[in-house]
Amino acid sequence: MTTMTRRQLLKSSAVTGLVLGAPAILLAQAKEPINIGTLCPLTGAGGSYGPDMQRSVVAVVDRINKAGGIHGRPIHLFHEDDQTSAEAGVRAARKLIDVNKVVAIVATWASAVTLAVRPLCVEAQVFLIGVSGADAVTQGDHKGYVARTQPNTKLQGSMYAKFVVSKKEWKRVAYLALQTPYARSFGDAFSGIVKSAGVTITDDLIYEDKKPSYRSEVTRILATNPDLIMLEGYTPDSVVMAKDIYKAGFKGAILAPSFAVNAKFIEGASAEVAEGIWNMDRAPLFDSPAYKEFSAAVPRSDTSPYAPQAWDQMSIVALALAAGKGEASGTVIKDHLRAVANPPGTAAYSFADGAKLLAEGKKINYEGASGACDFDAIGDILSAPFAVQQVRKGKSELVTVINP
Amino acid sequence: MPPIAQYVFNGIVTGGILALPAVAFSLLWRLLRFPNFAVSTYLTVGAYAALVLNAGAHAPLELAWLGALAATGAVALAVDRIAFRPMRDRRPFSLAIASIGVAFVLENVVRFVWGNDFRAYDVPVSRAASVAGLRVGREQLLILGAAVVLMALSQAFLRRTRLGVAMRATADNPLLAAVKGVPTDRVIAVATFGGGALAGGAGVFVGLDASIDPLMGGGLIISVFAAAILGGIGSAPGALAGALIVGIVEEAGTLVVPPTYKTAIGFVIILAVLLVRPTGLAGSRS
Amino acid sequence: MIAYLTAIVTLVGVRALLTLGLNVQWGMTGLVNLGAVAFFAVGAYTSALLAVGGVSLVLAWPAGVALAAAAGASLALVALRLREDYLAIVTLGFAEVLRLFLLNEAWLTRGANGVTAIPRPLHAWFGGHYPAFYLLLVLAAVGLVYAALERLRRSPFGRVLRAIREDEVVAAVAGKPVFRFKVQAFALGAGVAGLAGILFAHYLAYVEPNMFLPQESLYVWLALILGGSGNNRGALLGSLVLLGLLEGSRFAKDVIPFLSGVRLAAAQQMLVGVVLVTMMIRRPDGLLPERPGSE
Repeated sequence: MTTMTRRQLLKSSAVTGLVLGAPAILLAQAKEPINIGTLCPLTGAGGSYGPDMQRSVVAVVDRINKAGGIHGRPIHLFHEDDQTSAEAGVRAARKLIDVNKVVAIVATWASAVTLAVRPLCVEAQVFLIGVSGADAVTQGDHKGYVARTQPNTKLQGSMYAKFVVSKKEWKRVAYLALQTPYARSFGDAFSGIVKSAGVTITDDLIYEDKKPSYRSEVTRILATNPDLIMLEGYTPDSVVMAKDIYKAGFKGAILAPSFAVNAKFIEGASAEVAEGIWNMDRAPLFDSPAYKEFSAAVPRSDTSPYAPQAWDQMSIVALALAAGKGEASGTVIKDHLRAVANPPGTAAYSFADGAKLLAEGKKINYEGASGACDFDAIGDILSAPFAVQQVRKGKSELVTVINP
Repeated sequence: MPPIAQYVFNGIVTGGILALPAVAFSLLWRLLRFPNFAVSTYLTVGAYAALVLNAGAHAPLELAWLGALAATGAVALAVDRIAFRPMRDRRPFSLAIASIGVAFVLENVVRFVWGNDFRAYDVPVSRAASVAGLRVGREQLLILGAAVVLMALSQAFLRRTRLGVAMRATADNPLLAAVKGVPTDRVIAVATFGGGALAGGAGVFVGLDASIDPLMGGGLIISVFAAAILGGIGSAPGALAGALIVGIVEEAGTLVVPPTYKTAIGFVIILAVLLVRPTGLAGSRS
Repeated sequence: MIAYLTAIVTLVGVRALLTLGLNVQWGMTGLVNLGAVAFFAVGAYTSALLAVGGVSLVLAWPAGVALAAAAGASLALVALRLREDYLAIVTLGFAEVLRLFLLNEAWLTRGANGVTAIPRPLHAWFGGHYPAFYLLLVLAAVGLVYAALERLRRSPFGRVLRAIREDEVVAAVAGKPVFRFKVQAFALGAGVAGLAGILFAHYLAYVEPNMFLPQESLYVWLALILGGSGNNRGALLGSLVLLGLLEGSRFAKDVIPFLSGVRLAAAQQMLVGVVLVTMMIRRPDGLLPERPGSE
């Protein structure tokens, strides 16, 4: 009779167990993918912003999948073009939700699309996160399934106003904005604050999109003799407006959002026209590891104002899913969103960082490429510092930071 | 309140730009008997053709503009050969719809190749000079000048050359013209090429004045359409006058109503003119 | 997939209604309306604003239809009195002016923000099955309107309209009050378009001005021409084909691996354009051409 030593017995049972259990283990490895949808404007009025946002999301997902996915499950992305149209956006969202069975829709841009798609997502318990600015996006009852990484208009208006008031030489300000769902709201917030500080609003003009020239709008604005023009538009129309303002001989200052006056703007309007234009936006954490990783992963990223936000949106969604221990749904994302994005917690600058910390049982606080990404109860970004830049010799340079 | 003269001047320049595609649209409508909605995308094609030559091959803008005229004319010819020639005898509506399909395709070909980002020509931007109290920009003068020259050439062509006369004859009565031996195919080819070239040239102006992106032409189609109807289909001088009126009214309108209602004023004025002269300013409808 | 198809067919139904409305004006009477989307918008916004303001849908819906029809009647009265060809440019202008009005007069229309949280009929009753209910509602509306319009077409009124379309001088000589018939037909078509708008607004629970761009009028014409202009069956088929094309190209792109992003989207739209041109060359009368003497 051979007597096996205990070790041999243990070993052989282990081997037997392994052999018998192997199929089960192998089955577990071939895990179901997690489906996520992007709904960006690839054509239509927002067409110059969508492609970069989509690429940003793809870059995040590539990294996540290469490192093994979320709890071993790969992310499967589905892309749709909303054509910057609410109706087309709804059809696209229906396909993403019902056919592709996504658990989240990320990187929406146009307020009209986000607003139209919101009820579908809430009903289907699919998480929706984008950059749309209209107040209604986070208002009303969305049961926590909506968030956005763009500061809301009241916050923006107040920060711009704070900066303008701090510059004592600007006593007469004209408000010139593109027709968007938030132009009025921003204008009112901004004007209200600067007026109470003694600054005169000389004109308030909202212009239509896609016009070949804005000469007459410019003529009207300049006739009111402003020291500063607060130009609130997107890059394509801002380029035309800035050129018309320059050609009309305006010698005063222009303040615009940085998402409009970016590298593409400077290229399109020319360094000469762009010289001296003030621009501000929520301060991306340029020195943060998140921003560095983002700009390395997404080429020409300095020209895409919404790409950092899209990067963060995807990263946060992935982290929330990771915190959910393997089950994937919009509800899981909703339940864990603030837990992974808000303080307190160990700072995490990427999905890889955060996933590792989560696996160790730690509480994390994602700090992203577009900013701190801390959400309030209705899904808006908590107040954040704004970076003020000025275009000098063809490049935007940081001048100061305005704190809330 | 600035002198209204500034608005009128601005309007004249806008009108000058609109006049080129309006003339093309109007004449082609008369000749081929259908409104060719692809004309506005010819604008886009011309702008990008000049971009390739100017920003890509570093040609000066004037040369690039001439190149754009030729390139857009060629594209228009190709479009006619592929899409419209098989339908010469069809109802106008079929052709109009087909032209819309063509517009879709052209806009998206441009988008496919260059993406949605807007571009600009490699030219210096200059501040406007002040002339007699008006702000007059260098580009504005160039545009006006070129538009006037093109208009004059078109008129001379239609009035003085054999082919031009033949074109008007064909427009008035294609059957009779064919019977009398006017080479209709050649006439159509020349008109198509010319119309395409005019629109392409205008596209360069728009690109110069504003910026270049795939949607640039499409946004003007309503104004072009209105200018052509106002002037009377088939009349080049009419289309020019129509375009100038549309341009001036849109610009001057900002004095009276919020700028967002610009297009609205345009339509009201057009209706008013049509009330007085139902066939449009100069055209005759057959 | 079922939910997706339900949504698409619902939207096809809305579109079909709108196309039926245009057919009354163009197909049955020969009136050119280049601003079809305007009456769609009037119906949508009227009902939406009333409903959000607390008015019961039982009142808001008919109000929307009535206002759309009234707008159509007024437009026709003005344009047709002056000159026939006016109608085309007047309708085009009206559509654009209306959109600008919706955008700018925010005190009334909520401006660029649009109207959100539009109440849906009987939403609480159907819960999870609501999309199916709404689909049936839309299909019922399409069915009823189609039947009514077919009846109308065969009726004396319809015959007069056809006579006007073919040769209004003859109709006038025969003693028919051509002008009055035209206005009525135009108003009827506008009312049907308004109904389509109402169903649209309450389905999406959201309306905003840029849903009613001029090119939307274009899509209605496309559907009509594709299906076979001049007949109601064509209007239905054309709407189905058009949306099928738009959605089909969405799935086609999923199987084209080597393109992405903007290129893919551009290719998708190019496909729509190519199909359009090809259709016009090969089947200019649309898929269901009107058979002469089929009444």
